[in-house]
Amino acid sequence: MKKPRVRTRTWVAALAAILGVCVLWILWAPRKPSMIADIYSDGKLLRRVDLNRVKTAERYVVEYYGESNTILIEPGRICVESADCPDQICVMEGWLPGFGLPIVCLPHNLLIQIEDGAP
Amino acid sequence: MTARRLTRDALLTAVALILFTAEAQIPAPVPVPGVKLGLSNIVNAWAVCRIGAWDALAILLCRVFLGALFAGHMMVLFYSLSGGLLSLCALLILRRVTDESQLWICSVFAAIAHNAGQIAAAVLITRSLAVLAYFPFLVVSGAITGLFTGLCAQFLVSRRLS
Repeated sequence: MKKPRVRTRTWVAALAAILGVCVLWILWAPRKPSMIADIYSDGKLLRRVDLNRVKTAERYVVEYYGESNTILIEPGRICVESADCPDQICVMEGWLPGFGLPIVCLPHNLLIQIEDGAP
Repeated sequence: MTARRLTRDALLTAVALILFTAEAQIPAPVPVPGVKLGLSNIVNAWAVCRIGAWDALAILLCRVFLGALFAGHMMVLFYSLSGGLLSLCALLILRRVTDESQLWICSVFAAIAHNAGQIAAAVLITRSLAVLAYFPFLVVSGAITGLFTGLCAQFLVSRRLS
């Protein structure tokens, strides 16, 4: 068998470098200390919630072309409680602020994120 | 376009569509949007390796449009189109600098390119950079799934189907 032009070892090393950068990125991603959550639908800011000021739990339904996500806002935290999208990933993503990742529902173009300091 | 070529490409499109649709029934294993097995990438990698760039592009485009139609969500179209085209570009470029026994490496990088394309589409569609936080997770998952689909394609190529 003839020798490959670029050795497999070289490719695997390049791949390991990329994965290493990603792991470092995951470990050192900036955490936002803020408690203000922004709810975006279709790229537009629908609502801004100060999670520290929430006194009673509240459900907030965001419609998207006849389908919807039900967002549950509780004192100090926010999540998507239910959705009628096929993948249910936004529900599985759990509470914010959590690990530092935003909640995204791609089929319904919904985004909930901790705002990044700008007023 | 001969009848033989048309039939072969149509058959491969059907295979890719079946893989795509069957995979869509599997519940998401991790709460990260965009993570999936990408089984139809097997067909892509095989087509790039065995048939040629234009046929692979035709198969990909048919699969993406019909797949979005079957999935019932047009949002799927944007994500698979951007990811699919980028991963095809990666396959075609890497194909030139690798040997046939290294197809699985092309597939790993193609899967990462697919996820990069998806994130780019997500940034454009949600008009927010927040989704970039998911990118490193997608790269890691893409490397794993790309390895799996790449090895599948590698075995197929090694078996010398016409």
